[in-house]
Amino acid sequence: MAAYTTPVQVLIDELGRLPGIGPKSAQRIAFHLLKVPADDVARLAHALTEAKAKVRFCARCWNIADDELCPICADERRDPTTVCVVEEARDIVAIERTGEFRGRYHVLLGAMSPLEGIGPEQLKVKELFARIEPEGITEVILCTNPNTEGEVTAMYLARMLQPFGVRITRIASGLPVGGDLEYADELTLGRALEGRRDLSA
Amino acid sequence: MIVTRIELVDYRNYVTAAFDLTPGITAVVGRNGQGKTNFAEALGYLSTLDSFRGAPAEALIRAGADAAVIRATVRHDDGRELSIEAELSRSGRNRVLVNRQKLPRTRDLLGVVRVSVFSPDDLALVKEGPSERRRFLDDTLVALALKYDAMRLELDRVVKQRNTLLKQAAGRLDEASETTLDVWDAKYAELGDRFGQARAVLIARLGPIVQEAYEHLAGVVTPVELRYEPVWRTLGLAAALAAARHDDVRRGVSTVGPHRDDVELVINGMPARTHASQGEQRTLALSLRLGAHRFVTEHTGSAPVLILDDVLSELDDGRATALLHHLPPGQVVLTSASALPPAARPDAVVRIEAGASAAEGSGTGPWQGPVGDTVTGDG
Ligand SMILES: [Zn+2]
Repeated sequence: MAAYTTPVQVLIDELGRLPGIGPKSAQRIAFHLLKVPADDVARLAHALTEAKAKVRFCARCWNIADDELCPICADERRDPTTVCVVEEARDIVAIERTGEFRGRYHVLLGAMSPLEGIGPEQLKVKELFARIEPEGITEVILCTNPNTEGEVTAMYLARMLQPFGVRITRIASGLPVGGDLEYADELTLGRALEGRRDLSA
Repeated sequence: MIVTRIELVDYRNYVTAAFDLTPGITAVVGRNGQGKTNFAEALGYLSTLDSFRGAPAEALIRAGADAAVIRATVRHDDGRELSIEAELSRSGRNRVLVNRQKLPRTRDLLGVVRVSVFSPDDLALVKEGPSERRRFLDDTLVALALKYDAMRLELDRVVKQRNTLLKQAAGRLDEASETTLDVWDAKYAELGDRFGQARAVLIARLGPIVQEAYEHLAGVVTPVELRYEPVWRTLGLAAALAAARHDDVRRGVSTVGPHRDDVELVINGMPARTHASQGEQRTLALSLRLGAHRFVTEHTGSAPVLILDDVLSELDDGRATALLHHLPPGQVVLTSASALPPAARPDAVVRIEAGASAAEGSGTGPWQGPVGDTVTGDG
C-alpha cells in the first residue's frame, strides 16, 4: 500500500535502502528534502552523481581513489614493506589520524559473515595475497574490527598468510570490545597499533 | 542499592502510574488482571532489558501508544541517587537515559538496576527443556559480572554464523569452506571453553547453596544436586567440534557445544524433571532462585531488589513462611492477589486497580496493620 503520491514514495523507498536508515528516518529525510530550496537539492544530487562518477577504488589497495592509485599508494615516502589490512576505507581515515602508521593499506571491503553471505571469496583476500611478493611486503598488520566477524577474518588471514613467511601482527586490545575501528578514539587506536601482537608462528 | 520510585507511561495496561517503594518490604496487592505482574515486569526490565515473562518488546507497549516509558529512582548504598528512564519504542529504537544523559547503547544500563525475580513460571526451570536452565545459569553469571553479557551475546552470534555456514555447505565442504569453518570453530572453541568453565564454576558454588535453600523451604533434609557435565568439556570444545564435524556438515547444524548444554537437577538421586512430585519441583525451582539471589548478594556485596511475583499463593503456609524467614536482607517487592501469610510484614502496601496505584500507609512510617484483613474482599 503506497501511502504517498508516487515520486514521494519512490524517494522514501530509495532512502530507506541506505544503510542505517529505517522507514521512519527515510520519511523524515524525504519530507525535509521537499521543504528545502531547489538549489540545495540540486547540490546534493550533483554531489551524489559526481562522487559516483569520479571516485573509484585504488587499483592496489581498494581504498577510495580519484585516480588509478589512492593518495597513500601514490605517496613515495610510505613504507611499502608494511601493510595494514582494514575492513572499510573509512577505517584508513581513523588510522591515519593517529599518525602512528607510515606503511600502506589493504581494504577488504567487509568482513567474513556467513549470515550476510560474505566469505573470503566476497572479500579482497586473493588481491591481498597477490600483493605480498611483488611489493616485497614483510609485515601484515591485521586491523579488522575488534568484533566477532573482524576477529574471525583476522584469524583466517593469519592462517592463509602463514606460507608467505611474512610477519603477521594483530592490533592489541585496548579497543572497545564489540566496537568499530571507526569510533575508536585516536589515542587508543595509536596505542593499539604500537602494542600489536605477533600471530606468525 | 534500592529503588525508591517507579513511574510507568503507556506500559502494558498502564497509561500513567507511579509507585513509591520502601527500603524494606513493599506489598503490591490487587485482583488478578489489574497489572501487578506488569509492574513487576517493568522493574525487572530495567535490570535485564528483557521481560521475565519472555514477552517481545512490542507486547510491553500499551495498545495504541507508540512508546512505553519506565522511569525509576535508584539509591545506591553510598547515598548516590540516579534517575533512570527507559523508552521502548514500537520502531525498535529504544533509548535509555541515566540522570538525563542518554547512554551510548541501551545495554550499558545492565548492572545499574539489579533485580532478582521469583515467579510461578520458575517451575519451568525444573519441568521444561535445557534452554530454561541455560538461561537461568547465564542470567546468574551476568548478575555476577557484566563481562558475561558480552560473552553470551558473542557466543550466540558465533553459533548463528557457524550454523549458517553449515547450512550453506549443504552437506559437503570444499577445501576453501573447510578453512573458513576451521576459523569459526577456533573462535567458538575459544569462547565456549571459557564460558563452559564459568558455568562449571558457578554450578559448583551454587550446588551447596541451593541444597541449603531447599532444606530451609522444605523443612526436611533432602539431597539435592546440580550436575553440569557436558561431554564436550571432557575433550575441550576444539576437539569436540573436530570430532563432530562430519555429523555437523551432514546435518547442517552445530550439534555440539555450550549452546546445547543442560544442567541436570537431581533430588534423592533421581532426576527431578521426571521423578519429583509437583510440590518438590516447585520447591526446587524456588531454591534455585533463592540460591542464586543469595550467591549474587554475597559475591557482589549488595543485594539485588527481590521481586516475589505471586509466588506466595503457590506455596503452602509452611513453605511460604519458611521462604519469608529465609530471605536475605535487602529490598523486597511482593505481589499478591490473595491474603498475605501472617509472616509477611510489609512496610508499605500499594493497591493496584486497573492500571492505577494507590498507596496505603506509606509515608506514615512502617505499615503495621494486619495485611490479610486489608486485602480481604479483593477475592
Ligand atoms: Zn591505494
